[in-house]
Amino acid sequence: MKEAFDVAIVGAGPAGISAACILAEAKIKTIVFERGEYPGSKNMSGAVLYGHDLAQILPDYIERNCPVERNIVESRIWYLSREGGYSLGYRDSIFTTDLKYNVFTVLRAKFDRWYAEQARSKGVLIVPSTVVIDLLRNDSGAVVGVVTGRRDGEIRAKVTLLADGINSPLAARTGFRAEPKPEQVALAVKETIELPSEVIEQRFGVSSADGVTIEILGQITEGMDGVAAIYTNRNSLSLAIGANLADFASFKIKPYELVETFKQHPMVAPLISSGKTLEYMAHWLPEGGYDAIPDLYGDGYLIAGDSAMLFNALHREGSNLAMASGKMAAETIVEAIRRDDYSRKGLAGYGERLAESYVIKDLRKYRRLGSFLYHRKEIFNQFPRLASFAGREMLTVNGVSKKQKQKLILNTVRKEISMFRLFRFLWQAWRSIR
Amino acid sequence: MGRSEDNKLHIVCCVKQVPDTAQVKIDPETNTLMRSGVESICNPYDLVATEAAVQLIERYGGKVTVVSMGPPQAESVLRECLALGAEEAILLSDRAFAGADTLATSYALSQAISLIASNDPVDLVLCGRQAIDGDTGQTGPGLAIRLGYDLFTYVSEIVGVNLDENTITVKREIEGGTEVIEGRLPALLTVELDLTSTRYASLPDMVRALRQAIKSWGANDIGGSPERFGLKGSPTSVKEIFAPPVRKGGLVFDSTEDKDQAIEDFLDTFFEKEMELLVELLGSEGG
Amino acid sequence: MPKNSKGREIAEIIPQKCIACQLCIGQCPVSAIDMDGGIARIDPEACIGCGKCFDICPVEAVTFEKPRKKKMVGIGQKTRPLDDYRGVAVFIETHEERGADVSWELVGEAKELAEKLETRVLGFVLGTGIETVANKAVAHGCDVVYMVDNPLLQTYLSKVYGRILVQLCDQVKPEILLLGATPLGRDLATVVATRLETGLTADCTGLDVDAQNRLLLMTRPTFGGNIMATVLCLNNRPQMSTVRPGVMKMPEIVSNGRGEIRTLDFEAPDEVLPRIIDFIPKAAEVEGEDIAKAAVLVVVGKGACDARHLSMFEELARLMGGTIACSRPVVEAGLLPYMRQVGQTGKTVAPKIYIGVAVSGAVQHLVAMQGAHRIIAINIDSNAPLVQIADYALIGDYLEIVPKLIKGIEARMRSRTG
Repeated sequence: MKEAFDVAIVGAGPAGISAACILAEAKIKTIVFERGEYPGSKNMSGAVLYGHDLAQILPDYIERNCPVERNIVESRIWYLSREGGYSLGYRDSIFTTDLKYNVFTVLRAKFDRWYAEQARSKGVLIVPSTVVIDLLRNDSGAVVGVVTGRRDGEIRAKVTLLADGINSPLAARTGFRAEPKPEQVALAVKETIELPSEVIEQRFGVSSADGVTIEILGQITEGMDGVAAIYTNRNSLSLAIGANLADFASFKIKPYELVETFKQHPMVAPLISSGKTLEYMAHWLPEGGYDAIPDLYGDGYLIAGDSAMLFNALHREGSNLAMASGKMAAETIVEAIRRDDYSRKGLAGYGERLAESYVIKDLRKYRRLGSFLYHRKEIFNQFPRLASFAGREMLTVNGVSKKQKQKLILNTVRKEISMFRLFRFLWQAWRSIR
Repeated sequence: MGRSEDNKLHIVCCVKQVPDTAQVKIDPETNTLMRSGVESICNPYDLVATEAAVQLIERYGGKVTVVSMGPPQAESVLRECLALGAEEAILLSDRAFAGADTLATSYALSQAISLIASNDPVDLVLCGRQAIDGDTGQTGPGLAIRLGYDLFTYVSEIVGVNLDENTITVKREIEGGTEVIEGRLPALLTVELDLTSTRYASLPDMVRALRQAIKSWGANDIGGSPERFGLKGSPTSVKEIFAPPVRKGGLVFDSTEDKDQAIEDFLDTFFEKEMELLVELLGSEGG
Repeated sequence: MPKNSKGREIAEIIPQKCIACQLCIGQCPVSAIDMDGGIARIDPEACIGCGKCFDICPVEAVTFEKPRKKKMVGIGQKTRPLDDYRGVAVFIETHEERGADVSWELVGEAKELAEKLETRVLGFVLGTGIETVANKAVAHGCDVVYMVDNPLLQTYLSKVYGRILVQLCDQVKPEILLLGATPLGRDLATVVATRLETGLTADCTGLDVDAQNRLLLMTRPTFGGNIMATVLCLNNRPQMSTVRPGVMKMPEIVSNGRGEIRTLDFEAPDEVLPRIIDFIPKAAEVEGEDIAKAAVLVVVGKGACDARHLSMFEELARLMGGTIACSRPVVEAGLLPYMRQVGQTGKTVAPKIYIGVAVSGAVQHLVAMQGAHRIIAINIDSNAPLVQIADYALIGDYLEIVPKLIKGIEARMRSRTG
């Protein structure tokens, strides 16, 4: 099409829309292409968002009626065996006062739509139901726009931002990002279970605006490298469980079976009892960590969000990294337009910003964690089993003395793992998150 | 109603935003609507009507105006129709229109179209045969009566328009066959789903549609008697809703193990139980 | 009951029950209700606790606990004294000087309704050469038949028929007017209802009467058949309804029908009428293939959408004295034409025997065929919705089942004749 734009963004998810908002504020002519019928139709996450990161894009997000499900006042961690498990939680009243909206749950279909509407109201053009099938390049190979699947569908732009998620067919075609290997990706499935809000409030001990998140590790993933989570929404619970894609293949477990077993776990079942399943979705998560990050910018383009594999599995951070990277991409673009330099050199500010920020710093810190978890499967089978054994033994009142119990536990553990192995494991774990 | 001097067509299309009825269900146990994730779409018949209108002006010249009565969200279906090639879009939105049945809806639409026609004479109104939520098919014909236009329902083909004689010829699907009928303009057509397929809008058309300002008219803008709008103007009211009666399943013959046996069993059972029916259908000669 | 910040007791919406009909919005005297994401929402601060929303909600989606009985709310412009209107009228549709089956079904239904209302059954017949039809109307049970016989009425034109029927209603003042939900009937009914500014309910599958209030209860499918609604026309007359063909029972002939036939004059309208240029009848073989009329249907589903096997299905249909039809995906794939489509956007059918071959049974399909007398489903998937409601289900691969069925049926037929 004849009309040209300053910036073309592929994908109306958290990364793309965050960039669009910043660009619109700087009065830069921006167009966003979304392949779904509406922004959010193709997106899935837990879903948990962080107020601080959203505030960087829209400081007045609450006044703009951001569709918040519940304000999270307590975070729990569970380490589960087959019949039971350990639970550790932290709740603080400050999360209802000064630090309200520190963390909150959303429904992606609702949130993404609202978020895109904020960008649209700032003057960004968002074109739904339109797939970007290729990038436009000039003779020297620099990106000068995109090609959509519609008639007269080429559009020129000074800079193109790729924010089209982990499954980006475009990335595959253009070769900017290698096809992720199975070990670099997790397959997650999520069920939304409907429950009346009073029931949720009673079961989790919260008021009508507040909620709880539960992050879960252990045998719940049937020995595969994975995690699960339970999040509270206003009238429903989100149950998510996922594992490394390579593990799914080698363990030959079906995602649906995994969810069913998860729902029947004695610590999970009471929370969801009498609830009705509303929907069931599946999605990929980038798990490659720092080493999987592709070249994030080049002549005429930048990559942000899941598409750039910016994802922190340990801390369940994906949407906020998408928002932060989208913002940094936008700030870089603003500079580039001012200097009229869209070459790789001109966009190098993006790399610098990312490196300075917690985005790359955190991912670097946890660089070895992904591989560690993937290779130390005892975290997902042996350890939870032994931990449960210890707990059960200590809590059983059967006339046996505490000292004898301790001995029994230590002996049982030693039979399976030598002290040396255990210490080495702890040392490697420590190193993986340093 | 005279035509504007340039002898081109002005076509108005009425379109409606409807829930995607494939998703809407009632929970038979609690008798409540299960609405989770039900998306809104443009009534498929109305998209066909708009496409047909655009094809007509591509053939004869002129312009297409699309109108929708609905809440503010209905803007999205108007934009979908703009992307097909409609030139102007008008949203009729007002609390006063709420709760309207087809009589009150056709009244409001007729007021709006009269207003449109007073600025720019209207030659043709195209509507979809029915909306897939109400399934009544009453709004189009009611509108024709109120406007005093010739009415042609179940139109499967628009044969042609004669701008000099001011006539239109269409094919209608009626009992027993197809009727070819000619009427005078202005006329109102309700169209069948297979009248035409709809185009995949070009990128420039999509962008134009997204940017276009959509006029919004309320009850005060279109004039008329306020007591004939919305709930007040609706003679019919819903007493109750319930899940449709479910037929219970009957006998199952599993042929995956022993095919021949299962089929023989079925035929034996069927011929035994349904002998009366078979005799009625196939007569005593039996084939 | 919940209260707002001013201490006033307020009404609240139960989100799960709300059907977004917006009746409450129209009723609220202080505009305290609007739509939020497809569900009605009451602004607690604006609500004055009058309970009007509670009264009008058809699905009890409003909580309101002030101790008072739910009032029946009359809405819509009132017709002149409702007591002036008496009688259950039926429009008798005619084709080639014969009455349509659906019209007789409606006369039968009208008799039952009229009995409960203690009033008469009236027939309205328009056309040319229709005296035999008028007599048959009496034979089926009409107490009075109003006949308008004129060559100009040979072919249906909305304007002409509409005007006559409106005049009849003004003259005769029936409290109920029923028409068959045929293409003609639905067209004509809307024209008449709009002119009379009265309520019309389309494609009803059930009728009943509240005799005390002289109200017609009209039940019909909506949302593609996913939801059934019962509709009333409280304050306007006549209460109009188009009724789906094949749903009501065909009545018996009353041997000593004592109805009277009244002939009315016809005034030709002085305006220019549409000109019928041609009528292309469905070729006799094609007409014989009208799936809505077939007694037996072999319905090809998405799972059997294969041109190579079409002749096999046609053979089965022929053997059973029926014709083939299909579900929507088969039409979209281009295998069979639209006229063969069974479904919400296709045709509604009620054959004596419906044989579905690899039809899964989406709701929009089921709603258009669940009136079939006997349903046979052939499917590899025992959980398919059509299989769940079939009277006879054959689980397996249709490619193997259908040929064996054909052989088996042929054998049984031979043994009966031979």
